[in-house]
Amino acid sequence: MRLYIRSCPRGRWCKAGPLPSRQWKCGGIRHASNDTNNDNNNNNNNNNNNNNTPPWRSSNVLDEWVQREARPISLRQLTFFGRTLTESRLLDSANYVRLELPTRIAHRLRNMQTLPYSALSNPHIKHVYELYYHAFELLRKVSHIATLRDNDRFCDVLKMCLKDHLSVIPRLAQGILEIQDSVSADECDRFMTTLLRSRISRRVIAEQHLALTETFHSPWHFPGKKSSVSPEDDFVGEIFLKCNAKEVVEKCAARATELTARAYGRHVTIPKVVLQGHLDTTFPYTPSHLQYIIGELLRNSIQAVVEQVGSSNPPPIEVLICEAAQHVILRISDRGGGVDRDILPYIWSFAKGPRRSRRLHNLGKVPRLAGTMEELQLPPSHPDSVEEGSSGEKFGSSLATLSSRPPDLRLGMGLPMSRIYAEYWAGSLELHSLEGYGCDVFLHLSRLGNKNEVLSTRASMDAV
Amino acid sequence: MLSVRAAARYHGFYSRSGLRSLGRVSTRHIRTATVTDSDIARLAATPLHPLTLADLCKHGRPPLSEQALLGSANFTLDILPARLAHRIQSLRALPYIVVANPNVSKIHGNYVHSLSTLLPYAEKKIESFKDDVEFTTVLADLVETHSNTISILARGFLEARKYITAREVTRFLDEHLRARIGTRLIAEQHIALHFTSQPHNQLSADDQDLKDERAESNTYIGVIDTALKPAEIIRSCEATVGEICELKYGVRPTINIVGNPETTIAHIPMHLEYILTELLKNSFRATIEAGMEKEPIEVTIAPAPANEHQTMELKNKPERMERNTHGIISNYDQGNVDYASGSNKPEISASANIRPLSQSTPGVTIRIRDRGGGISPENYDKLWEYGFTTFNEDEINDKVSGGNGGGGALDVISGGAGGGSSLAGLGYGLPLGRAYAEYFGGGIAVQSMWGWGTDVYVSLRGVGKID
Repeated sequence: MRLYIRSCPRGRWCKAGPLPSRQWKCGGIRHASNDTNNDNNNNNNNNNNNNNTPPWRSSNVLDEWVQREARPISLRQLTFFGRTLTESRLLDSANYVRLELPTRIAHRLRNMQTLPYSALSNPHIKHVYELYYHAFELLRKVSHIATLRDNDRFCDVLKMCLKDHLSVIPRLAQGILEIQDSVSADECDRFMTTLLRSRISRRVIAEQHLALTETFHSPWHFPGKKSSVSPEDDFVGEIFLKCNAKEVVEKCAARATELTARAYGRHVTIPKVVLQGHLDTTFPYTPSHLQYIIGELLRNSIQAVVEQVGSSNPPPIEVLICEAAQHVILRISDRGGGVDRDILPYIWSFAKGPRRSRRLHNLGKVPRLAGTMEELQLPPSHPDSVEEGSSGEKFGSSLATLSSRPPDLRLGMGLPMSRIYAEYWAGSLELHSLEGYGCDVFLHLSRLGNKNEVLSTRASMDAV
Repeated sequence: MLSVRAAARYHGFYSRSGLRSLGRVSTRHIRTATVTDSDIARLAATPLHPLTLADLCKHGRPPLSEQALLGSANFTLDILPARLAHRIQSLRALPYIVVANPNVSKIHGNYVHSLSTLLPYAEKKIESFKDDVEFTTVLADLVETHSNTISILARGFLEARKYITAREVTRFLDEHLRARIGTRLIAEQHIALHFTSQPHNQLSADDQDLKDERAESNTYIGVIDTALKPAEIIRSCEATVGEICELKYGVRPTINIVGNPETTIAHIPMHLEYILTELLKNSFRATIEAGMEKEPIEVTIAPAPANEHQTMELKNKPERMERNTHGIISNYDQGNVDYASGSNKPEISASANIRPLSQSTPGVTIRIRDRGGGISPENYDKLWEYGFTTFNEDEINDKVSGGNGGGGALDVISGGAGGGSSLAGLGYGLPLGRAYAEYFGGGIAVQSMWGWGTDVYVSLRGVGKID
């Protein structure tokens, strides 16, 4: 009887029996492939009915997954991997995702578990914690994916998770604002940043895999086709190889202008967005991220100018695109009066600032927006309602929710969120305010795609 | 170079009216006391007074009455010895072998000498105008002695570079130079107030030049110009730097001022000139070397809006400041940092006792935008270091022996604007400029777009409205 070495659902290399029986031996202990490890027993034991805190669960399973290291990837790896799609590669991708997702969720769950008890009693934090735990349970039980059918089932699970988690960001933000008594503002910021980074990373790899699956199944794809790079292959899954900065800016400007016009009324002149610099720059990037960041920044600028100047001739917003060997730098300059002195120290924070109560109130309105897919869609006549190639929209990208919210719903999160997105692929976002005059925002993006994603390290997590 | 009016004011105190009215008091007759270690320890243990622009202006507008002048003298006398003692202690904390270097040792000696001349006065109060005349002479001597500190120290550190790390030098210099700004400011302010005070004017009432100068200087309180127009300073710096460029490169870039050119703030012209000269030097050189001299450099002057409650707060500030001196304030706390400053700030320990002036006074932000191609990533990290690591051995030996290294012509200008100190292209411009800007709660931030150009943001805080 041959023994195969495989990766068992627990993430270890186990000796396996012949394939049909799927018996695993982890360090000599036999276990079936979908062993639930006493979890179900404990779930119902400590049922605290009128308590707000989440039910107690055995931490053994979580411990195992927390032990694993997340394997970060780079944009380039994602691209190269997806260029030649064969069945075996697709299945490899599926298995990578299958193991990475629970690992990363486990890290975040551990983060949340080490928050003070009172923090986790907050209904919003609890809701997010429950969502995550549920996803974790679902995903860790997925067995090794060996066929395309398995993959399809797995993709369904992924889609469901992505959709369920749409409300995470607003609820987290609300929770953060509410737990200020038990957790310091700085810690809240760190916690939120870590969670969001991890969330981006999970969605990136999940959406990438879903996009690859779709490409694989699409009618014009031939399995095992040899040509790795053809000029029309602009998309590799979610990544657009030829993001043209100019087009992205123009599109986001159009959308932001439309939204602002709707909010402030048609009589208000919206400032124009003027582009200059190296207009032909292209680079590989995830378009949904880029559109979110630039969209938020342009919205801020346009709103500032409109509120500062009113309906008379508004000064244009200047966007400069600068291309260097390894970076693309965008500078967005407006004359909207700059950032108020009293909020300038807090513009990058989720938790601090004198406008907390208003933010809290506004955040409460957003989850309703993310509740149904119908509310997300712009009317069919709108040019942006069909995104070419950006399949993130189809899978229920929460960025779409946030981007298309009405502009008078100030959430106070655009800048810190944009920064996290920018930093995800090793870029950066900086702001300089000329008080009373305007603002300059600098967005640095790495062009080569060879930088690994920025995740919070084990060390920083263990330091808790 | 200093603008003509400012130069006359600054140097004129010494050359024309000053020494004549001082009569025959010469520096040889200044009393000194021996400075003991216990003196230094005692003085260094006292907390440092956090200096604000309001402190310098609180004695009133010139011409000061005798009483106000004596108030200023005693205020100065209260804080100077402690500051000098702190400096001496900082110097003594450096490694022995560094302080043994003749240049560094000379600076150390200067400080000890200055303290020794001040101590006899520190024991009693200044009670008459005559005493003040003597005291002002001592102060003038102090300012003169220390005018070349930076270049001598720089030379000393260069020579001793084997025995101390660049990081330590940066840290020491950040602290030391910031403290020095304050100390000199206090001394120069009192000197200036003295020479525009009523008793002094009576003494030299027959001087026609002085009468004309007095008429012009009604916006000045000592060294502070309450109606300083940044646009004027920019234009004069543009002229100076432009001349040198034309001399060296044959072309001269132009500046386009946008925003609010009529803005005025209350600030110290000398400081602003130094900062702007350094920044314009960088911009001009980069622009020329990138071949973009046809494109004007865009300078935006953006005044920050002031509200009523700010001036109210300002009136209450001086009392609150003085009550808070029971806390120990470290040497680092003498500069306030504003949020516009970019990364690579020196480590500044937060002290709850200092209320940053930046919160309550209106200021101005100046943005200098050039198309000079930006700063290369390798140099970007070294931007804020004190010129220490960008040289190779030959250049260092050149500088150590007093030669004027590469890029000399443009670097000579820093000599004039810095009030007499010749920096000889040692790469001190940016960090020192930032020290000046940050001293009263402003800052300098640099954003480079490699391949296009650089944006520099200078934010300055003023004094607010003074009646």
